[in-house]
Amino acid sequence: MAIGHALLGLLEGGPRHGYDLKRAYDERFGQHRPLAYGQVYSTLSRLLKNGLVAEAGVEAGDGPERRRYAITDAGVTDVERWLGTPEKPEPYLQNTLYSKVVLALLSGRSATDVLDVQRSAHLGTMRELTRRKADGDLADQLICDFALFHLEADLRWLELTAARLDKLAAEVGK
Amino acid sequence: MTQVISDLLLGVRLAVGGSRKSWGRLVLQGVGIGLCVAVLLLAAAIPNALKVRDDRTDSLNEVAEGTGPAPLLMEEMYVHFRSLDIPGNYVNVRAENAPVPPGLERLPGDGEIVVSPALAELLASPDAGLLGPRFPQRVIGTISQAGLVGPRDLLFYAGDTTIAEREGNRVYAFGQTYERRGLDPVLWMLSLVGIVVLLFPVLVFVGVATRLAAAQRDRRLAALRLVGAAASRVRLIASGETLVGALAGLVFGIGFFFAARPLADDISIAEVAIYPADLLPTPELAALVLVAVPALAVLTSLFAMRRTIIEPLGVVRHQKPVRRRLWWRLVPPVAGIALLVSQAGAIGEKDSRFQFYVIAGVVLLMLSIPVLLPWLVEWVVNWMRGATPALQLAVRRLQLDAGTAARVVGGVAVVLAGTVTLQVLIASVEKDVIDEEKRDLVHNFVALTPKGEFDMAAMKDAVAAGNGVRAVHVLDRTSAKLPDGSTTRVSVGTCSALKAQADVKGCTDGKAYLVRFSRGAAGAESGEVLMVGGRSAWTVPRLEEVPGISPGLFLTPAAAEGLDLSEGMPQFQAELDLAVPDAAEHMRNAIAPYSWRVHAYFYGQDDTAEVELVFGAVRQVLIAGSMLTLLLAGASLLVMALEQVRERRRSLAVMAASGVPRGILARSLLWQNGVPLVLSTAIAVGTGVLLGVMVTRVFNAEVAYDWQGTATLAGASVVLVLAVTALTLPSLRRATGALGLRTE
Amino acid sequence: MSLLVAQDLHKSFGKTHALEGAGLTIRAGEIVAVMGPSGSGKSTLLHCIAGILPPDSGVVRYGDRELTSMSDRERSELRRTDFGFVFQFGQLVPELTCLENVALPLRLSGMKRRAAERAARDWMAKLEVDGVADQRPGETSGGQGQRVAIARALVTEPKVVFADEPTGALDSLNGERVMHLLTSAARETGAAVVLVTHEARVAAYSDREVVVRDGKARDVEFVR
Ligand SMILES: Nc1ncnc2c1ncn2[C@@H]1O[C@H](COP(=O)(O)OP(=O)(O)O)[C@@H](O)[C@H]1O
Ligand SMILES: [Mg+2]
Repeated sequence: MAIGHALLGLLEGGPRHGYDLKRAYDERFGQHRPLAYGQVYSTLSRLLKNGLVAEAGVEAGDGPERRRYAITDAGVTDVERWLGTPEKPEPYLQNTLYSKVVLALLSGRSATDVLDVQRSAHLGTMRELTRRKADGDLADQLICDFALFHLEADLRWLELTAARLDKLAAEVGK
Repeated sequence: MTQVISDLLLGVRLAVGGSRKSWGRLVLQGVGIGLCVAVLLLAAAIPNALKVRDDRTDSLNEVAEGTGPAPLLMEEMYVHFRSLDIPGNYVNVRAENAPVPPGLERLPGDGEIVVSPALAELLASPDAGLLGPRFPQRVIGTISQAGLVGPRDLLFYAGDTTIAEREGNRVYAFGQTYERRGLDPVLWMLSLVGIVVLLFPVLVFVGVATRLAAAQRDRRLAALRLVGAAASRVRLIASGETLVGALAGLVFGIGFFFAARPLADDISIAEVAIYPADLLPTPELAALVLVAVPALAVLTSLFAMRRTIIEPLGVVRHQKPVRRRLWWRLVPPVAGIALLVSQAGAIGEKDSRFQFYVIAGVVLLMLSIPVLLPWLVEWVVNWMRGATPALQLAVRRLQLDAGTAARVVGGVAVVLAGTVTLQVLIASVEKDVIDEEKRDLVHNFVALTPKGEFDMAAMKDAVAAGNGVRAVHVLDRTSAKLPDGSTTRVSVGTCSALKAQADVKGCTDGKAYLVRFSRGAAGAESGEVLMVGGRSAWTVPRLEEVPGISPGLFLTPAAAEGLDLSEGMPQFQAELDLAVPDAAEHMRNAIAPYSWRVHAYFYGQDDTAEVELVFGAVRQVLIAGSMLTLLLAGASLLVMALEQVRERRRSLAVMAASGVPRGILARSLLWQNGVPLVLSTAIAVGTGVLLGVMVTRVFNAEVAYDWQGTATLAGASVVLVLAVTALTLPSLRRATGALGLRTE
Repeated sequence: MSLLVAQDLHKSFGKTHALEGAGLTIRAGEIVAVMGPSGSGKSTLLHCIAGILPPDSGVVRYGDRELTSMSDRERSELRRTDFGFVFQFGQLVPELTCLENVALPLRLSGMKRRAAERAARDWMAKLEVDGVADQRPGETSGGQGQRVAIARALVTEPKVVFADEPTGALDSLNGERVMHLLTSAARETGAAVVLVTHEARVAAYSDREVVVRDGKARDVEFVR
C-alpha cells in the first residue's frame, strides 16, 4: 500500500512515465532497496484499475514506448486521506512515516499536521498501555514498558523531525 | 612549603574571586576588622600619650634649689572663673639668664602676659567680660605645645616686678621629676574595666567580621573537601581567605586611625583632649595589634569551621544540627558573679589583689555572653515552636543556623553589655559627684587666702565694698601637730566666721568643733596636747563633732584661749548675697589688683552644669561608639539575610507562586533578624546592669542607672532589625517574582 | 465544562517572544499534558495561566473570573486557595520538616497547627512518604522530595494542580511512581492537572495533550 501512495504522491507533481517514477522513488525513499520495474508497473496497473491514475498519452522515441501516467481527482483524495490518517502506532514505523513527511512537503501540505496526528495516535496508544500497566501485574507492566519505550523512541523521532522540518523542506525542494 | 604557599594563594584567589560581590564582601570585612584595628591602635596609643603628658608635666616643674641669688621669682596662683580653674604663674625676672619655662619664647616683663591658646580663646569669647579685669596685662604671645600638657589646657605666665623674694618662690631652672603617686584606685579600676569592656567586644568583633558571608565560604570549602582536599589543606586555604580580609582590615584600620587622630584635640573636655602628635602607639604595642588581629581572625575562622572540615556533607545537606550543651557554658557567668560578689565593698582594703579578682570577674561575665547566647537563642527558638507560619519559617531557619546569627549578635551583645555597664558606672559616679556639688551649694562663702605680706586691712575693705558682699569675716588659721605625728588645721573665729567652714548650729562663744576628713577618720581628741607652731603646747578642749567643708579644729575665740596664733595666717570669709548674679566674680574683680596675693575660692560655685557637660560628653561618646558597633552588626546581619534570600531563592519563589503572601515572607525575615537581636539586647542590658551594679558595689558607691541611655541602645537595635529587614525586602521581592522560578 | 480558558496569550521577555498567541482550555478534573521542545514557552504558558506572570496581552479566565484583570494580591489569594504547584526541584523550604512543609499551605489559610499537620500526614500517607515526615527535605531522596511536594500541592484540595516538569530530575522508575501517585491522587480529589513535560512517557499519564511550538499552543484535541 505504501508504494502505491508514494507513487500517487509523486504523480501529484505532474504526469510522468514509469521509468521516471522509479527513479524519483529510488532517489527519495529507496535508499538501499531500489524498486523493481515489475513492482512499479504492477502497482501502476492496480492504481489504473482503481481509477486513481489515468494514462496521459504515449511518448514516442527510440527504445521501448513510454506511457505517461497522471493522477486523477480520486487519486488526490486518496493521498490526502492517507496523509491525514495516522499509522497504527507500532515499532519500526519510520519508513512509512518518513515517506509521509516527505510527500507532504513535496505536495505543499502541512508536514506538521502529519507529525502531530501521528504523535496524538502514539500518545493515545501509550495512554492505553499506561492504563494497562496500572491495572496489571508485574509481567504486564514489563511487557507494556517494552512497548512504551519503543513508542517513546518513535515519538522522540517525531519531535526531532518536527524541529527539523524547515531543513528537510529545503532539501526535498532541491 | 611551596604546597603550603600555593594552598594559601588558592584561598586568596577564592576570597577575591574577581566578582563584584566578592570584592564587596572583602570591603565589608575590611571595614569591620579595620574599625577594630583602629580602636585597638587608639587603645595602644594611650599609654604612650599618658607618658608624653607626664614627661611634659615634669618639664614644667620648677627647680627651687640652686646656688646664688635666684634668677627668677615665681608665684603660682589659680584664677577661678565660674566653673573654670585657670592655673597661672606670676614671674619676676631678676637676671639676664633667668630660666624660661618650656613653651615660651621669652619671659613676660612687668605688665606682660603669655597665655595658652585655650585661655586666649576664652578671653576673646563674649562671656569673658567678667574675667577681663583680672588679666589687664598685655598679651605678648601664646604658650606652645611644649609648655602644655593637653591642647585645651588653660595656663598663663604674667610678669610682676613687685614679687619679693620669699621662702618658696625661688626658681633656678625648669624640669624636675617627682615620684608619681599611682592612679587613684577607683580611677584605676574604672579605666581598667573600661579598657576591658572596650577591647573585649573588639576582639569578638574581629571574629564576627571574619565570619561575614561564611555560609557561602563553608559551602565552597566543603566542595573542596568533597573533591578530595585533605582537612589540613582546606584549613590552609581557609586561612588564606581569611588573611586577605584581615590584611584589608589592617590597611583600613591604619587608615581609620590616622584619620581619627586629628580629632583628638577637638575633644571638648580639656582634661581628655590630647595633642594628635602625642597619640602614637609604641612600636611594641603597634606590632602586637598588627600581628594579633590577623592571627585572631584566622583562629576564629578555623574554629568556626571545624564542623565543616570534619563533615563536608553537613553543609550540603541541611541536617538537624547537634544540640548545644549547656553546662560548660554556665561556668564563666557563675564564676564571674561569684568573683564580683565576693569582692563587694573591697575598695577600702589595703591589699590591691582584689582588683585582679574584679577584672577577672568582669572578663568572665563578658565572656559568658558569646558563650551563652547561641545556646539561649536555640533554646528560645525551640521553645517558640512557631505560632504563625511566618514565625515558624523564621524559627525553623534559626534552628538550622542559629549559630551564625547568634555569633553576630553575640558581638553586639558584648558591646552593648559593656556600654550598659559603663552607663551604670558613669551614672553612679556622676550622681556621687553631683550630690557632693549640691551639698556645697548652700555655702555662700568665698574663702580668701592671702599669700605673703601686704596691707590686708585695705584688701578686706575692698572686698567688703564689693557688689553682693554681705559681710567679711576673719578666721585665724594655724596648723598643729597631733600626738601621733599627723598635722591638723586649727581655725579660730567668731561663730559667724566659723559658719563659713563648718556646720556649727547653736554656736556660742566658748565652743570647739571638730570636722573629720571623713566619717570615722582620725582627728584630734579632747584632752590631747597639740604642738602649735612647733613650739607651744595646747590642750584640746571639749569638742563637738560636726560636718564641714574641710577637716580640722574650729574654735570660737573663748575656746582658743592660750593658742599661739603668731605662726598662722588669717583667712577672710566673704559672705555673699546670692541674689546678686555672679556675686563671686564681682567680688574677685574687686580684688583683682592683688592678683597672686589672694586666692579666692567660692565654695558655693554651681559646678553641676559643668559636671553634667563632662558626663554628657562621655555618655555621648559611649552611645556613638556602641552605635557604630551596632551598625557593623547590622551590616553583617544584612549580609547574612541577603545571602539567605539568595540561597533560598527557589523555595521562596515557589512559595510566592503557590500564593503565599509576600507579607508573610517579609515577616518571617523580620522575626529571623529580630529574635536573635532582641534576645541579645535583652541579655546585654541584663548583664550590663548586673555588672554595673556589682562593680559599683565593689567601691561602695550608690548605684544609679542611666535608663535613658540604655533605652537608646535598645531602641537602636530594634530600629536596626527593621532597617536590615527593610533593606532585604527588595531582594526578597526579586526572588519571589516569577523569574525566581526559572532554573539556571 | 471549561474550568480554565486562555486565549491569544502574548508574552515577551525583551526581544524574546516566549508566547505568541497561545491558548488552551482546561476542563474540570482532566489531566492535560503540555508538551513541546524546551524553550518553546511551556513554562511561560503555565506561569501565565496560573496567574504567576501577567501576560502582555490575552485573556485567562478561571471559572467566571478573569485572572488577567485581577490584582497581584487577588491572584496570590486565588493561587493559594484554588491552585496547587509542583516544580522540578527545590520547592520545599529546607528548614522546615517535610510534614511542616506539607502543612504550610493549610496553616497559611489559618488552620490550627495540629489539624493542619493531621491533614498533612494523611496526604503524605497517600503519597507513601509518611516515613520521612519528620526529616528535612535535604535528608530525603529526590523521589521522596517530589512526592512531598505533591502532597503539599494537593493538601488544600485545589481545583487545578500545575506541575512543571515534576519528574525532570528523577530517573524513570521514580518518575513513574511520582506520576502514578500524582495522577491517581488528582483523580481522587477531582483536581485538574496541567502537566508540563517533554517526556512522552510522562505525558502518557494525561487525558490529552497540548503541544506548544514557537510560543503557540496547539490544542491537539481540536485538530483531531
Ligand atoms: N525571564 C525570562 N527572561 C528572558 N527570557 C525568558 C524568560 N523566561 C522565558 N524566557 C525565554 O522564553 C522562551 C520560553 O521559555 P520557557 O517558557 O521557559 O520554555 P520551556 O519551558 O518550554 O522550556 C525561551 O526562549 C526563554 O529563553
Ligand atoms: Mg520549562
